Amino acid sequence: MAFYKQHMHEAPKTFLSKYIFSFDHKVIAKQFLWYGIFFLGVGGIMALMIRWTLAFPGVAFPLIGKFLFPETGGVVPPDTYAMLFTLHGTIMIFYAITPILIGCFGNFCIPLMIGARDMVFPSANMLSFWLAVLSAVLLMGSLFTPLGAAAGGWTSYPTLSTLIGSPGVGQTLWAMAIFVLGVSSTMGAINYITTIITLRAPGMGYFDMPLTVWGLWLTAILNAIFLPVLGAGTLLLIFDRVFGTQFFLAGAAATSGTGDPILFQHVFWIFGHPEVYILILPAWGVVSDLLSFFARKPAFGAKATALAMTSISILSTLVYGHHMFTTQMSPLLTQTFMTMTMTISIPSAIFFANWLGTIWRGSIRFHSPMLFSLGVVFVFGLGGLTGLYLGTVTTDLYLHDTYFVVGHFHYTMAASVLLGGFAGVYFWMPKMFGVMMDEFLAKIHFWITMLGLNGVFFGMMIVGYGGMHRRLYNPFIYEFMQKLIPINTFITWSAIIMGLAQFIFVYNFINSLIRGEKASENPWEVGTLEWTIPSPAPHYNFKEIPVVKCGPHELGNPNLKSGRDFQYQTEDLVQA
Amino acid sequence: MGFLSLLTGPVAVGAKEMSLWERMLPPEDISGEGHLIDYLFNYTTGMNVFFFLLVCAGLFGFSYYYSSKRNPKAYYTYGNKKSHILVVTLIGSAVFFAVDFNLTRMANNDFVNVFMNFPKGDDVFKVEVMAQQWMWNIRYAGQDGEFNTADDIMTNNDLRLPVGRKVVVQLISKDVIHSFYLPNVRRKVDAMPGRISRIWFELKKTGKFEIACAEMCGTHHYLMKAHMTVLPENEFNQWMKQAQTIALAANDTENPETYWGWKWEN
Repeated sequence: MAFYKQHMHEAPKTFLSKYIFSFDHKVIAKQFLWYGIFFLGVGGIMALMIRWTLAFPGVAFPLIGKFLFPETGGVVPPDTYAMLFTLHGTIMIFYAITPILIGCFGNFCIPLMIGARDMVFPSANMLSFWLAVLSAVLLMGSLFTPLGAAAGGWTSYPTLSTLIGSPGVGQTLWAMAIFVLGVSSTMGAINYITTIITLRAPGMGYFDMPLTVWGLWLTAILNAIFLPVLGAGTLLLIFDRVFGTQFFLAGAAATSGTGDPILFQHVFWIFGHPEVYILILPAWGVVSDLLSFFARKPAFGAKATALAMTSISILSTLVYGHHMFTTQMSPLLTQTFMTMTMTISIPSAIFFANWLGTIWRGSIRFHSPMLFSLGVVFVFGLGGLTGLYLGTVTTDLYLHDTYFVVGHFHYTMAASVLLGGFAGVYFWMPKMFGVMMDEFLAKIHFWITMLGLNGVFFGMMIVGYGGMHRRLYNPFIYEFMQKLIPINTFITWSAIIMGLAQFIFVYNFINSLIRGEKASENPWEVGTLEWTIPSPAPHYNFKEIPVVKCGPHELGNPNLKSGRDFQYQTEDLVQA
Repeated sequence: MGFLSLLTGPVAVGAKEMSLWERMLPPEDISGEGHLIDYLFNYTTGMNVFFFLLVCAGLFGFSYYYSSKRNPKAYYTYGNKKSHILVVTLIGSAVFFAVDFNLTRMANNDFVNVFMNFPKGDDVFKVEVMAQQWMWNIRYAGQDGEFNTADDIMTNNDLRLPVGRKVVVQLISKDVIHSFYLPNVRRKVDAMPGRISRIWFELKKTGKFEIACAEMCGTHHYLMKAHMTVLPENEFNQWMKQAQTIALAANDTENPETYWGWKWEN
């Protein structure tokens, strides 16, 4: 299928061309990984500051509080609090999850799993990373402007995000950062789509691709279609802020003509709802593969899983209105969006059944990537089911903008994606860096993270049902929320535990890089193409472009005589 | 050390002894329609618990029975047998018909027949609310029954309503988007600049309750709190009469700021 002859390039020799401005997809993947892990830390500390403020209002943030907020003696001030939750959302979505799940795994896995020597557009790939860096500089730079960073929530609804609500330059920089990041991600997306279509190894049909590649492919397609929509929205916002246009102004503030603040919400959520799936699809793909690999049997209904993911991707573009039920759209639109939203649970149920079908009668090895994958099934079950309350318009009227929503989307976007990401890091570590991570530490990391994140996100849903709404500096000035203080304290302790558990990961990661056990070519004993080459992968990936003869999940075939219980994709399917 | 007192400190502020269950319950429902939302919530919860237990049974059960120790040889299947496809289809349609279909049907009925079915007629009590950073301006029509006239009664953050009457509130915002959130009525609606939104409810219980802003509206979003006082009809009429006298005396009819209201939109 490969459309092009892929040349083997010489290995880059200088430090700059090898590690900094590298064209190699594997190096770019690692760059995105470091970038993502760094921002995961930044966003995580911000989350802890938010949680600290909610549980202990008026108490100084421990350790670093005194240095960050000297004027209040270490207590997070209200305006900073707003910046914190704005940046926490923005950073986690665009600067942590996107680079790790899409930037790192997308770059690393796609060429290796489809048997290509590199991406189709290596220089666009490099540019994509460096634009992401530029975007991060813009965003972090906004923290040092006179009025501080953006503080209108990650959704940045006008008119709060126009000059009426946010006069500072921070909000403009936020919009510019998002725009630049949109360009970066779109570039990456075009690259992934083209690579998957044109550079699949000879013999590899679409259904012979691992489900990881399916997930990444669908993500890339959604990214390529919908990030430009967000780009357009933020560009109009920049126009409103800088050039005095009035796209999103209405009412008394619109001095000449009138725009509509709700227009931004439409534009934002046309992008925003697919974005949820953009983030989760790679994790779904990874999990679908890993469940099969570690259960030592073929993925149950792999074709149905791939098609279910595809139909979810399509449906995700038609349901965004459920984010806007309280803006009182026309009732007909509201009903339509609710009905469309509900249909998403059919494909979801199908691939849940397929995941469980995969481990059914398997021979499960509980290595760390498998534990994390099973964790995803658990937390995504919770996250997906709680979405029903919010897709239903009447219950949403009560739950909208409460912590129930926060808990729900953290289960789907944070918990599932985080666990899926860790599963991927533990799984591909040997191929990426040529070393194994410590299994014992990985398992401790899993259990503490799992405990912590359920405490945090389930707790959030409980206080949300109790009526506590979002983005409050001090919720307890409301009498009806006084009773929720102990639960909030519990959530914060869970968050602290979860945060501390990540140090185990960081230690394990760095320690194994320095003195980790050298990985063999195929430590997990699976048959996809990346495991046919040495660990770490050489810069040209494949000496010979492989020819694919069977599917990616050929495990446990009873006809195998070779002593292995799996076969490589380059081998003919063994039949009785 | 300090950490321990931090943990217990706020609990003491929470005052009354309360079980965890009581803490988890939503605020008291004082409206005539809120029970519909509570019912649907509970129905969804029942369904969710059932399906999540099903997932957990599979997840933990299979993990236990099919670990490599217990089951060294995996069953080689692609999951494409007729029976496999049948089971998956069954699960898919069970979710669809038991959950989605029912939820959509019930929510649709409630939404169209109740929440969007605005009461009309003379006994409907009308209020206009203008949200602004960071307070709620409330406006009653006054004795002439017309809004935006000189006899309108205006209050800040103090919404008084009669018990047992259908209330329609129309909202607008002066600056940014706010959201009019009545936890005890189980509902909220956004207040937006440039367009009027509306909400209706009937209050069944007297007392003092809280109104919150649920949409991020700036630094002091958390301080945008108002009170809703529900009074018996006669007490309410008394207050209304008093407020009318004060309004007629105090309203600055020359000041254009007084006329932030709008003609009631039917």
